[in-house]
Amino acid sequence: MRTRSSSLLLILPALVLLAAVFLYPLLRYGWLSFHASSVLTGLVPVPNGGANWGRLLDDVRFWTDAGQTLRFAICSVALELLGGLALALLLHRPLRGRGPLRALTLLPWALPTTVMALGWRWILNDPHGPLNAAIRSLGGSSYGFLSTPATTWFFVVLADVWKTMPFVALLLLAGLQTIPVDLEEALRLEGASRLQILRRLTLPLLVPYITLAVLFRLAQALGVFDLIQVLTGGGPAGSTESLALYAYLNAMRFLDFGYASTVMLATFLLLLVPLGGGWLLLRRAGLERTTERAA
Amino acid sequence: MSTASGAGLELRQLCREVGERRLLDRLDLHVAPGECVALLGPSGCGKSTTLRLVAGLDPASGGQVLLDGEDLSERGPGERQVAMVFQSYALYPHLSVAGNLELGLQVRGMAVRERQRRIDATLDLLQLGELRHRRPAQLSGGQRQRVALARALLRQPRIVLLDEPMSNLDAQLREDLRPELRRLLCGREQPVIYVTHDQQEAVGMADRIALLEAGRLQQVGSPRELYTNPANRFVASFLGRPAINLLSIEPGRQLGLRPEHLHLSEDGAVAARLLRREWWGHQQLLWLDSQWGTLRVLTAPETATPQEPRLSWQRQHELWFDPQSGARLLH
Repeated sequence: MRTRSSSLLLILPALVLLAAVFLYPLLRYGWLSFHASSVLTGLVPVPNGGANWGRLLDDVRFWTDAGQTLRFAICSVALELLGGLALALLLHRPLRGRGPLRALTLLPWALPTTVMALGWRWILNDPHGPLNAAIRSLGGSSYGFLSTPATTWFFVVLADVWKTMPFVALLLLAGLQTIPVDLEEALRLEGASRLQILRRLTLPLLVPYITLAVLFRLAQALGVFDLIQVLTGGGPAGSTESLALYAYLNAMRFLDFGYASTVMLATFLLLLVPLGGGWLLLRRAGLERTTERAA
Repeated sequence: MSTASGAGLELRQLCREVGERRLLDRLDLHVAPGECVALLGPSGCGKSTTLRLVAGLDPASGGQVLLDGEDLSERGPGERQVAMVFQSYALYPHLSVAGNLELGLQVRGMAVRERQRRIDATLDLLQLGELRHRRPAQLSGGQRQRVALARALLRQPRIVLLDEPMSNLDAQLREDLRPELRRLLCGREQPVIYVTHDQQEAVGMADRIALLEAGRLQQVGSPRELYTNPANRFVASFLGRPAINLLSIEPGRQLGLRPEHLHLSEDGAVAARLLRREWWGHQQLLWLDSQWGTLRVLTAPETATPQEPRLSWQRQHELWFDPQSGARLLH
């Protein structure tokens, strides 16, 4: 009993801090989502029952954004995983100049998102950006890459993949380095090809790291805000708007804090499904690993 | 094409260099079918290097690896039909015991039924049947070693290589496993190379011992040959515990005398003083101070020891070496 209460005492400061930073805002959102709090109420919260939640269910923009956010997250995380895996396998091989190469691949990740998004916006600028200049010099005519939904969407995903693929690669590289070399040698002696070694040995042993990378990236991609805010502002015609951006617009542009809280809380609840599932998966993989070490 | 030679494994002038470092220097070694040769030597002597060259895991800088007269040098590790037991056992951690055995067969495209038959037979042979669904992490050190052995034998290899297969086991288990390992490995048709730094293990496991130092073969022969008739000072001092006494009795010659060949006797030629006594139960080891430095003497456990004994030995037990090169001087 005594150890229990004293250990509680020891983690109390951390608990208080966590509660202040995470629990309080969450509860506050919950509370606000049952109030009208906008310019119309003079920013004073007035209870309005479940009106916000009712509005949310009928809000086409919210559900469109949810679909767009999900599509963005799935596409970019899938591409990052494939590209990151290829990059990690490449960097894992004993190449000359591997050290500098590793540092170099990490650069895009080290760049602040806002800076990198501004860079992409300039590259894609119609008609002054370097991409259009290149097209014109080849005899084509300028194209408004950020004016049509399809190309805009493509470049948003591309920019995200470009920036975060190194992170995935780094995580997977760390995983690759935990695999003892003699496992691969043993399988080589059995006559396995490179591809067979990858499929039968490397990838299965990399699963915990892949799960971790996907989980990290999924959490970030589903909450994407800065990249879209700077690169497209959600446009054209809201075709790249994400849930986080919509919540932001509700609060900061429409000054409707009650509804913004509802959107944010709903987003949080929606994200909980894939992230919670992934976390459970990871915990199981992690548990298995720790028991293996203990044995 | 090389000229066909006898059956078994033959290493000819095998070299391995990495940068400026010469890890293995022109090794010649023949291992007959069914014979077990131990590569013995201190760490860094080139024994594991040799094994990796035979397996094809590292490229040789020169020389040949021949199996039954056939040159393996150009073949990749997967095409040599070599089985290797790694020091770490290299069991696939994500697969069960049966899965560990199966993966290699699967990779080579063997039919399911044949796979099952072979796995069952091998698991029976090594008494691993009850553990077939366990993961490597759930096995003891000895069990893991048996699984690694099963995996090596399963594929009916043409050469068996063992890289310090018992160094991760405790001393008792090592001793217990030696006869079993010998029964399973040796006397079949494959040549076996057994790498170890433990001379007891080498003596217990191998038909012949090849002693290496600094990438060079020092001597190859039966344990008895190496012990009684060492080619040089390194061989004489590496084999035998407690180590041989080296006495600089006269200029230009160094005398080697094994501790069991020195006797306490009243009319001995050498005066000594007792420093310390280690009682081992079946023997006792005496540390004596003499005019040629500290000497080790093995005697029967109950031998009475005066404080200032005299020592004698028989001429037939003298081993003479060149003090500079360490080469054996025959008298």
